[in-house]
Amino acid sequence: MTPRLTFEGIYTPAVTPYDTDGNVVWDALEKVIDHLVASGVHGVISGGSTGENYTQTVEERLELALFTKDKLAGRLPLIVGTGTMRTPDSIALAEGAAKMDAEAILVATPPYAVPTERENALNVLTIDRAADLPVMLYNYPGRMGVNMGEEFLDRVGRSRNVCAIKESSGDINRVHLLARDYPHIQMSCGMDDQALEFFAWGARSWVCAGSNFLPEEHVALYKACAVEGDFTKGRKIMSAMMPLMRVLEQGGKFIQCVKHGVEMSGLYAGPPRPPLKALNKDDKRQLEQVVRVLKSTIADITAGA
Amino acid sequence: MTDLLTRDEYKALATKLTLPVNAFIDGSYRPAQSGKTFSSVNPATGETLADIAACGSEDVDFAVIKAREAFEDGRWSKLPPGDRKDVLIRFAKLITRNRRELAVMESLDSGKTIFDCETVDVPETIHCLKWHAEAIDKIYDQVSPASDDHIAMIVREPVGVVGLVLPWNFPLLMLAWKIGPALAAGCSVIVKPAEETSLTALRLAELAMEAGIPRGVFNVVPGTGPEVGEPLGRHMDVDMVSFTGSTETGRRFLHYAADSNLKEVVLEMGGKNPSVVLRDAENLDRVAAHVVNGAFWNMGENCSASSRLIVEEEIKDALMERILAHAREWTLGDPLDPEHRVGALVSSAHFQKVCSYLETDADVLMGGKSHDGAYVEPTVLEVDASSALAREEIFGPVLSVLTVRGFDEAIAMANATDYGLAASIFTSNTKKALRGARAIRAGTVTVNCFGEGDITTPFGGYKQSGFGGRDNSLSAHDQYTQLKTIWVDLSDDEDEAVG
Repeated sequence: MTPRLTFEGIYTPAVTPYDTDGNVVWDALEKVIDHLVASGVHGVISGGSTGENYTQTVEERLELALFTKDKLAGRLPLIVGTGTMRTPDSIALAEGAAKMDAEAILVATPPYAVPTERENALNVLTIDRAADLPVMLYNYPGRMGVNMGEEFLDRVGRSRNVCAIKESSGDINRVHLLARDYPHIQMSCGMDDQALEFFAWGARSWVCAGSNFLPEEHVALYKACAVEGDFTKGRKIMSAMMPLMRVLEQGGKFIQCVKHGVEMSGLYAGPPRPPLKALNKDDKRQLEQVVRVLKSTIADITAGA
Repeated sequence: MTDLLTRDEYKALATKLTLPVNAFIDGSYRPAQSGKTFSSVNPATGETLADIAACGSEDVDFAVIKAREAFEDGRWSKLPPGDRKDVLIRFAKLITRNRRELAVMESLDSGKTIFDCETVDVPETIHCLKWHAEAIDKIYDQVSPASDDHIAMIVREPVGVVGLVLPWNFPLLMLAWKIGPALAAGCSVIVKPAEETSLTALRLAELAMEAGIPRGVFNVVPGTGPEVGEPLGRHMDVDMVSFTGSTETGRRFLHYAADSNLKEVVLEMGGKNPSVVLRDAENLDRVAAHVVNGAFWNMGENCSASSRLIVEEEIKDALMERILAHAREWTLGDPLDPEHRVGALVSSAHFQKVCSYLETDADVLMGGKSHDGAYVEPTVLEVDASSALAREEIFGPVLSVLTVRGFDEAIAMANATDYGLAASIFTSNTKKALRGARAIRAGTVTVNCFGEGDITTPFGGYKQSGFGGRDNSLSAHDQYTQLKTIWVDLSDDEDEAVG
């Protein structure tokens, strides 16, 4: 049987560095991975949407995950994203994850199909069977069209592997539902601007793309809330982070911002694959400004100022 | 039964089963919040069947919250009795539809013979649930003979959130004995199956949901006694615990209740049940068949097993000859072979405990050997009244024989025990039969047969065999209800009314 995984801390869905032709720049990815390990995050996700999985073939995704697993070399756990439109592709990714001894898989609703809750649950159980690894569910109705509702959550309980959910709906009622009625499913924050609320309701982990380039700041919020239980400090950090959340979530250029953020920290991330385009100068300037203020504010807070 | 399958067919069925592994709380399967599991082992083979959610006090707390919510909002407790009846009958039908799967699961999990599972455990489970379902809307409340100026109603209300703690010897049937009346009464239940045998309770919870029992009403929380049983017993928001198992554990539940919220406690515990055979017993062949059945049925893992034979010396040799002949027909081996009447003991720990009783100076009249770390031969021993074999509950296929001279000594010997669950008396003399039945201090006394009565008769014990109530019959409903008096003043005269 698979051991249950406890998700504690910051889990970073790693970006995929590309050159201008859209080829993976492996050296750059290795540096991103090393940087994440060095900066104190608690786990890495390969093949998440932040890694632009929707632009990648199954073979590319497996290659990326294997490379990440290899470079992590046991220093941090690896979660492999299995979200695809086609169930057989998700199964192939799940099987690949098991073969490479990934620590867990991330299982999402297939986009576009708009499955019923029963269909979605059976799909998850099928993918789960292929890996027999701990499962983090990924609820993102904004992109998938459906919620992982109560019927879904009740049905996936047939598997012992389902142990966490990355909740990205943005609906605070979902946080209440999960915290109160599904305490056996570890709730992981997947909605950056609600991180404080998630921690207040007992979440112990946060899957955040922003930690690609601001790992220390994300870890600081996690530590204040989840480790120290100091929500006064947590609120100050969160408040300092809110301008970034606005830029990330409301600008419609999420991945572009994250990639530029990575470049700001001195690493190579390159442009996103089409159809997305890199940030223009104004967007870059706005992001840089926000990040600068954020970093200095949080540094002051954590220094006890 | 004519529709039993062959051993190979049962083996094939066993490989196809999907075994439930998670707790069932608030209408869905859930792993333990700690993520811990424990292995459920097939005692006949030693193989692990499944890794079951090892729940803890946090899961108990959650189940209680959900059971309480369900109880208070009335989604089940306030349904018209006839509606509850319909759902429970649908539930019984679903069990019938899945009876073969349940029988095989039960045999694999407990070591019980498939023969017993198919012919006793599963059909009796269905019968029990149907009986209580049918009874729900036929139980009337009362109006007391109060004065003309008053009307007094005596009504029964469901007791609330109930913890049902089960033994491993009849995992399905004991579940039915408890959930039948508890659900019929309108309670919300939290079932703690025995650690050794959780599978069928977990599967039944799913069938209950399918039948229409609302979420939160029927919860199954598997785990150990200290991790689940004790938190349930000590919980401040559990209204009652019904426990079947050892006297030692039963005693603990009384402590838990006293230390917490004084919850109601009903205990059904051990036995060292006598079969008294008087010299005028008719048809010793039939007597022998009953004694053997009483002692060896379900491998003797039965609180009402007739494990003490008390026989008058005049007929002892004649009876023993027949008993040994009958006992030889109880073939032992693979529980999934429908030819076998004696299967594996429930666990290796229990096997060791039973075996320890076989290392004795007592005369072994038959059996006495064990096999493969799981099987104990049906064993007949001539024992001394003061020996542990005559006093302690062995819970294995071991019949202890005691010889007496006369009726009075037989009754005194029958009563010379801390237990008082069941007893049998065999005689052709009606007066002696009835005098004996009255004199023996036990919850059930059968005459000229071994038995436990049926669903229509109360089952429970005197002395250290029982406390606080009875399973089966309408008396079982009483356990899961509270009695309320509603006293109404009808008088016109205000002075009198307050006086």
